Amino acid sequence: MELTLQGISFVRHDKAVLSDVSATVPARGLTCLLGTNGAGKTTLLRVVSGELKPTSGRYFIDSTDASALSRKELARHFAVIPQNAPIPPYLTVREMVGLGRFKPRGSPKWRVSGQDRAKVDASLSRCRVEGLGDRRLDEVSGGEQRRAWLAFGLVSDKYFLVLDETLDGMDVFGKRTFFELLKDIASRDKSIVLASHDLDLVNEFADKIIVLVGGRVVFEGPPDSDLQKLLGSSPESAYIIPDKGK
Amino acid sequence: MAAALCLLLVIGVFVGISMGPAELDFSRLLSAVTGQGDDAAMTLVWDLRLPRVVAALVAGACLGVAGFLLQTSTRNPLGDPQLFGLGGGAAVVQALAIAGIVGRGTWGLYTLSVIASLVGAAIITFFASRRGVSAARLALIGVSLSALTAAIGTGALAGARVFSQQSLNFVGGSLANRGWPDVMPALPFLGLGLVAAVPVLRNLSVLALGDQVAANLGAEPGRTRAVAVASSGILGGTAVAIAGMVGFVGLLVPHVARLLVGHDVRTSFIMSVLLGAAVLLFADQVSRLAFMPSEVPAGMITALLGAPLMIYVARRVQWN
Repeated sequence: MELTLQGISFVRHDKAVLSDVSATVPARGLTCLLGTNGAGKTTLLRVVSGELKPTSGRYFIDSTDASALSRKELARHFAVIPQNAPIPPYLTVREMVGLGRFKPRGSPKWRVSGQDRAKVDASLSRCRVEGLGDRRLDEVSGGEQRRAWLAFGLVSDKYFLVLDETLDGMDVFGKRTFFELLKDIASRDKSIVLASHDLDLVNEFADKIIVLVGGRVVFEGPPDSDLQKLLGSSPESAYIIPDKGK
Repeated sequence: MAAALCLLLVIGVFVGISMGPAELDFSRLLSAVTGQGDDAAMTLVWDLRLPRVVAALVAGACLGVAGFLLQTSTRNPLGDPQLFGLGGGAAVVQALAIAGIVGRGTWGLYTLSVIASLVGAAIITFFASRRGVSAARLALIGVSLSALTAAIGTGALAGARVFSQQSLNFVGGSLANRGWPDVMPALPFLGLGLVAAVPVLRNLSVLALGDQVAANLGAEPGRTRAVAVASSGILGGTAVAIAGMVGFVGLLVPHVARLLVGHDVRTSFIMSVLLGAAVLLFADQVSRLAFMPSEVPAGMITALLGAPLMIYVARRVQWN
């Protein structure tokens, strides 16, 4: 499944947060959304996940007009891990990941099925937190919490996995491990969209990069040495790069 | 665990119908239960003791579930129909009825109590759905609402110069002298509250992860919270109409239920129903048997037991 954005604009309090954003998220792979704080990355992800309605423009999942779908319908396609994902301290890692199996439709289930349990175990294992299932969320490290959230996103079997600046606050080693994990998952059966500030890691691991500046797409394409040169070591430099790759 | 609680409930019902100031030996009790007892035994069991037992079960279940729904839907460990002011509206209606200001037709009074509770529920839903309203702030709003309604209720009783045993029982929370006419109108409201809550239980389970995550999963947090708090209002209002202001049951029972069976919403919901019913049933037995032939309000017993237990639970429980 491919996600295509066509001329998405979003205006808040008479200020354009997103302006005519057009881009494509491929059917498989790790797509990274780069940009400074306030560039519109979070807003774009909130639009795509249905939390915000675009002021204008549409987006499609293959040929389906996803901008016309309700948030409940969009929930079938997107697993979203927000910027400041809460850590309910009373839940164990396994319980939290198990909530990812939630489905809005159907009769109330009074027992967790064997299939759900197997999926949870598989996700925990895939995100390398299988040994932490019975630990409470507030007892594990920040990096482990983020991998638990990734398992939460994976367990739902949704096609698109959307992560909003999930790596903020992690150390360099933890970030690299996380990127390796994302790359591994995306190379098999998922399309992952990650909003990030980490230019070096993004350039190393992403299959595709979309750079947002002031709510506009200024670059869309595969990792590029020119992009690295233009942006320097910080995406702050994105303010000065000219429109490229469009 | 549920089986153990059911057994406890059976024991409680047995104590409730067999023991009391008027003696009833086992053979007379058995005859009365099977409908073949003497007139005195039949009256004791069927008209005096059983309706009171049922009233305790219903009010306890109402309070347990009302507290559970409030705590889960607002992610607030202080969620309690009395503390959040949901029962306050019903308390005003009951106080006005005791003071003779509104009519006392039982069905009408129950309906009015539930409507008044729903007004409180609407206010709590409004504030709980606003961004930036923390758990502590929501509790403060609820406590203020509760204090306001308590003042109005007390004012109504004082203004009408009603300080009878009846008003004391209401303020303290009591099931004394409850008969079938008091119990029957509560049953449809209990059913309504439970039936309304069951379809949103699945959604409630993911509200623990925050509104944004819940919405992204398709759980409609706003609608889910509104339905859960409205159910809590129906149940809280019903509990006040049967038993007056019984404290601590709605606050404590959901915490104990979660400590016993974990955080799965569906099992802790069922546990709150059973545990709420058991707690108030046994509190009522203590209240009527400990000082025979006189009795104390059941709410006094729940407070005496609930306060230290709540302190213990508060040290054990983990919340946001």
